Amino acid sequence: MRALALCLLLPCALPAQAQHRTIAVDARIAEDAGLRVGDLVVIAREPGLPGDTVRIAAITTPNADPSEVARREYRVRTHLDHLQALTDYGDRVHRFGVETRGGAHEDSTVAAIEAAAFGFRAHRSRDVAVETSATFAVVSRFHHAIGVITVVASAIFLLCILLLKVDERRRDVAALRLAGISRATVVKSIVVEAAAVAVLGTLFGMLLGRAAAAIVNEHYQGVYRTPLHFAVVTPGVLAFALALSIVLGIVAGALAALRLARAHPLALLGRR
Amino acid sequence: MSGNAVLRLSGVERDFTMGADRVRAVRDVSLEIERGDYVAIVGPSGCGKSTLLNLLGAIDRPDAGQVFIDGRDASALGDREATKLRLTRIGFVFQRFHLLAALTARENVELPMAEAGMKAAERAKRARELLDYVGLSGRERHRPPQLSGGEQQRVAIARALANGPAIMLADEPTGELDARTGAGITALFARLNDDGTTLVVVTHDEELAGAARRVVHMRDGRVVRDERLRAPAGASASSPARDR
Amino acid sequence: MLLRLVHASLSRHRARTLLAVLGVAVSAALLLDMVMLSTGMTESFRNLLLGRGFQLRLAPKGTLPFDTDATIPEATGVIAALRESPAVEAVSPVLGANVHIPRPGGTVTTIALGIDPTVQGDYELIGGRDATVAGETVVNDFLLRQLGARVGDTVTVAGGYDPQLRRFAGERRVAITGRARFLYLAREEGALAMPIAALQALAGPSRTDRASLFMVRARGGANVEEVRQWIERRLPRVSAISTETAIAQVEQRLSYFRQLALILGSVSLVVGVLLVGTLVAVSVNERIGEFAVLRAIGVARARITAQVMLEGMVLMLAGSLGGLALGLATARYLNTILSRFPGLPEAIDFFLFQPRAAWTALGLLAVAGVIAGAWPAWRGASLPLAKTLREEAP
Repeated sequence: MRALALCLLLPCALPAQAQHRTIAVDARIAEDAGLRVGDLVVIAREPGLPGDTVRIAAITTPNADPSEVARREYRVRTHLDHLQALTDYGDRVHRFGVETRGGAHEDSTVAAIEAAAFGFRAHRSRDVAVETSATFAVVSRFHHAIGVITVVASAIFLLCILLLKVDERRRDVAALRLAGISRATVVKSIVVEAAAVAVLGTLFGMLLGRAAAAIVNEHYQGVYRTPLHFAVVTPGVLAFALALSIVLGIVAGALAALRLARAHPLALLGRR
Repeated sequence: MSGNAVLRLSGVERDFTMGADRVRAVRDVSLEIERGDYVAIVGPSGCGKSTLLNLLGAIDRPDAGQVFIDGRDASALGDREATKLRLTRIGFVFQRFHLLAALTARENVELPMAEAGMKAAERAKRARELLDYVGLSGRERHRPPQLSGGEQQRVAIARALANGPAIMLADEPTGELDARTGAGITALFARLNDDGTTLVVVTHDEELAGAARRVVHMRDGRVVRDERLRAPAGASASSPARDR
Repeated sequence: MLLRLVHASLSRHRARTLLAVLGVAVSAALLLDMVMLSTGMTESFRNLLLGRGFQLRLAPKGTLPFDTDATIPEATGVIAALRESPAVEAVSPVLGANVHIPRPGGTVTTIALGIDPTVQGDYELIGGRDATVAGETVVNDFLLRQLGARVGDTVTVAGGYDPQLRRFAGERRVAITGRARFLYLAREEGALAMPIAALQALAGPSRTDRASLFMVRARGGANVEEVRQWIERRLPRVSAISTETAIAQVEQRLSYFRQLALILGSVSLVVGVLLVGTLVAVSVNERIGEFAVLRAIGVARARITAQVMLEGMVLMLAGSLGGLALGLATARYLNTILSRFPGLPEAIDFFLFQPRAAWTALGLLAVAGVIAGAWPAWRGASLPLAKTLREEAP
């Protein structure tokens, strides 16, 4: 679509009988230019050229379309014949949208269109969606990679911290072992403790994650002026986080506990 | 203070709070220790012996009274000056040796010398001499866990002698040792004193107390009896213990 | 002796030390990556824009270069107007269009750039010779593979198609004279270039004497901003965009990555500090008695504090060195992912290694190491001596 120059006229007194073509503008330009439904504006093909006076009939909400988010374009909708005339485009369009009578007719419709219209190609909407989502497929992979790195890092940190914390209690463990408490009991108690800490930490982390997602959405919806949700915490994500944290916590706690339980109690007291 | 006194306590008091109770560990103690003397402080457990030793070593400060170490009022010193005093004028030997397990015997002995700024080659040489003096030549590369209790205590004594202190303070030095090993340490202390080191030893060990030249008896934070057994040692020939 | 004590302390618990170093390495790697990400795009894009020496780009009013299908009319007049300024050294017009190349297996539709070969800044010739006259073209390797063609072959290129007549319109035979690497196009995107007049003729009346973009090179010493302002006054129908403005526009679109870099970088720094701080604190707690003994034998508090802080620093340093290697490897991997952005110029890197980035990350970690060790160190060296000896000494 060609760029349109949108020039704002001060509201002017018009004869009551004047009929103007109507357009719809998106919420961003309405906000930035102070436009309202019913306002008269002039649209032209290029800056400086005379154009058409039109009435704003509607203000549209931007699509929650990831591929359009960063572009920050202003969007105006006109009637097709109006735009063709305005831009001297003649009886031409960039594309047609075609609805078939059910999915079974898709293939035959594609073949028929391509055979009938020389130089045209018919694309299934879902194929177009896949292609225009390519950007976000990349972003999604990037997020996934960052997520993996973060999980690996967290696992190392968790193991290190638990090792330190369990090591701090070597004297307590030595006293228990000398009193006759078995290795298995010592390990179990430490693992249960690590699991409890993991669960509590996870619950706290979930609340933090939800809050962070809300802040991210609030922020970016404001920055890009879009209803798009940037961060979504789904039940699946929560379940995965819970499961992963608990498993990591238990494994880290078990490793740390086994290390301590294997040592002789006197060695733990520094007397061997 | 008499001209030859290297340590003097004047009306010293020290209290501790243990839970809801206030314990008077040292009550109005006045004491003078001459250069070259070998003093054993004895008494029942909890009579304030170790507290007194800490005051003598500028590890602790009295609540009242004064402590003079080699002529300086230690009770008025800040932490930095007190630490410096301990480094250069006082050697400490503990009941449980308190060696650094990760360092070798020689490195443990070198520690105070490094702190005092002695160069590496010089302190290595002196450390070997001191280990030789205390009877541990050939054991310098061993780490404390590889040494017996008696050997560890000898290393601790060598460490205490590192900077050629005027005074050596020992808190139950044979407390963790068997009788035979303890006798070896007792003999070493006697030799140290004969070579001119002033010794103050807190002990329950009768053998060790018997080897001293003076025995101070304490009870309930006070000095109750002060026995002179022999005169303090005079100046003697050069020895690694004092020469630096 | 200080280093010996630090070494002894860290060697005492090897597993713990190793894990801490590993944790710091991961932290350092992530921090380095985020520093690289926050500066990489900008620097990479700046290098791309300035690589051929053009400091200004002129696009149709209110648009960014090639953001829309809009073109600038009266291209010849625009060039003449720009040359009026003594500060303008060179003007490179560029027209963008799609062209169709019918082949036995199907039509290949590709991007075509109309350029002035004497001043063009859109591609680097990597084989053959440049296209200097109508009837000649240079293509990139991707298009050559699509066409199954070689330098020297002749192909038919059409600017459009007429559905009524069911044939391509504006067909021309052009000879492939050279291979080029198009600087501003993606790796997996076919492209060809030909003299701008040839493409204008090919594309039909709608493109006559029009250009999508002009690149302007100012003379050495000229004030680029003043030239930009002069151009916008002289030619009100164009937007003149300086390199800095273009970078700012792109940064705005990719601001998400800078913000992500800031957040993740901060988090990794904080986590690294927490990790080393916890390790040092636990280590100090275990050695309270040992520190009391050291003070009792005359080791100064400052020395003990220095020892502990040095332990923290050594952990940070060892981790940082490992993190440098790990960070470069992960940056390469992440860059591979992000370089698949559709339409991203091949020359753009999201993660650009600059020594400054490494020093910044290392510096931040060093400061973090000092902070992490300072409080536990001071605490460990400042407890009441007699009480600590009594209660804690081993």
